[in-house]
Amino acid sequence: MPRYAMVIDKERCVGCQSCTVACKSEWDVPEGGARTRVRNAGTRGTYPKLVSTFYVSQCNHCDRPTCVAACPSGATYQDANGVVRVNKELCIGCGSCVAACPYGARYIDSDKGVVDKCDFCAARLEQGLQPACVLTCPANAKIFGDLENSNTDVFNMVYREGAHRMESRQVALGPNVYYLGKPEHVELAAAAFPVGQPHTVTAGRVWGALAKKFVFLAVGATFAGQAVAFFHQLATAEKQFDE
Amino acid sequence: MATQTIPTYPVPLTAEEAREFSQRHIKKHQVAIVLLHWFNAIVWAIELATGSALIVAPGYRFMPIWYLEMMEHLAGGRANLLRIHIAAGVAWTIVFLVYAVFGWRHYLHAEVLRKEVGLDSDDMVWLRVRLLKLVGRTKQELPPQGAYNAGQKLYALLVYSMVPSIMITGLVMAFHLTGPVFLQWAMLLHFVAAGMVVSGLLVHVYMGAVFPEEHPAFYSMITGTVDELYAYRHHFKWWREVKAEQTEWLEKTEDAAGTEEKSLPVSQTQA
Repeated sequence: MPRYAMVIDKERCVGCQSCTVACKSEWDVPEGGARTRVRNAGTRGTYPKLVSTFYVSQCNHCDRPTCVAACPSGATYQDANGVVRVNKELCIGCGSCVAACPYGARYIDSDKGVVDKCDFCAARLEQGLQPACVLTCPANAKIFGDLENSNTDVFNMVYREGAHRMESRQVALGPNVYYLGKPEHVELAAAAFPVGQPHTVTAGRVWGALAKKFVFLAVGATFAGQAVAFFHQLATAEKQFDE
Repeated sequence: MATQTIPTYPVPLTAEEAREFSQRHIKKHQVAIVLLHWFNAIVWAIELATGSALIVAPGYRFMPIWYLEMMEHLAGGRANLLRIHIAAGVAWTIVFLVYAVFGWRHYLHAEVLRKEVGLDSDDMVWLRVRLLKLVGRTKQELPPQGAYNAGQKLYALLVYSMVPSIMITGLVMAFHLTGPVFLQWAMLLHFVAAGMVVSGLLVHVYMGAVFPEEHPAFYSMITGTVDELYAYRHHFKWWREVKAEQTEWLEKTEDAAGTEEKSLPVSQTQA
């Protein structure tokens, strides 16, 4: 079974947004939504020691995805190959996963009322094609492949060239989009777009902490009550009533 | 039987009277209600079975994994499970809306609601005595009841307050209405409201199907009628009302019979 990963080569990315356009056209992404984004991280330092970079972000298909556990209906799931996907038929559009994602990789498609995000173009992968953004990138800044296969470019970049995972000290979920480039560029991107905090929505917290217990108590109480009545009925034996 | 001969409290019946009473049947439920009840029961069975299998996230789930898997396999995937849940739920909502729109004059006006959910002082005593009797702690007689006893009234109150929220939150989720935050709370409300109904439903099913003294009530949900002996002993105040109505009707028809010849031409012109 392959384990898919993507490497963004920051040395090559010029922020042309070709990948964003390819993605939006491939998946009919509505206005305001984004499965992948290219953002300018601005500059740091003073000339001549001045650095600037673009930050290409999308779903990281984490090893330990917080969004999968957060999805009440089980619409968000992880394939064996590591790709985190959304089953639109099951999605209610509650956005619990949006709050749970520390990368802001998910959005709610307000036309359809369901959540959408990058799935490494799973439908294209099944046909043996590369993700649309990878195929489109004119600078070959996006490299996609299998981390289980030591002959792939991503394997080399991740395990030999030391591509970087966007993690913070608090949030380390094992993201599978890696960033290759000069340390100062990676640091600038990480500082400009820091990893967020996975957040459980209030209704979700109330469900686990309160609602479930409350319902169990109510159902349990009546069940116990009628069990007592039932055993009393058995013990006293039934009379022919109203005769 | 004239009005003054109807007893005002449930006097003990002689064996002869009791036999006579048990032979006569009086109408308790309209056909529409009987049909609606069993439609409702089937929908609840489907919705509870599928709904509990649709809550799968670790923090939310309450059914064991094997049950979730079994239901998924039975339905042929979780998407099918959801389709069944939504289809049955929407059908249920539509049927009850039709009932509310077309039947409100007959079933849902204030008088009927008072009869179904309005608790009086007899009802409060009934609740206490009923609970004690269930566990054999009292020999006290149950106070006379209306068409529905206090337990049924409490259950109706619970159902009437929970079902609209179940319907609204269900539609909100099924059709992705409102926004994410509303949807999150809609899910929670849907679950809690259904849970509350289930806690009452356990008693409802036990009392209807298992508890021996209420067997006539169970059969009344099939035939629409109860025997007069059951009505006399369990719903005395309602039995009195029915008797009073019958007497009134009898007196009227007797009057009408007496003046039949005079009134005949009028009824012919009306026809």
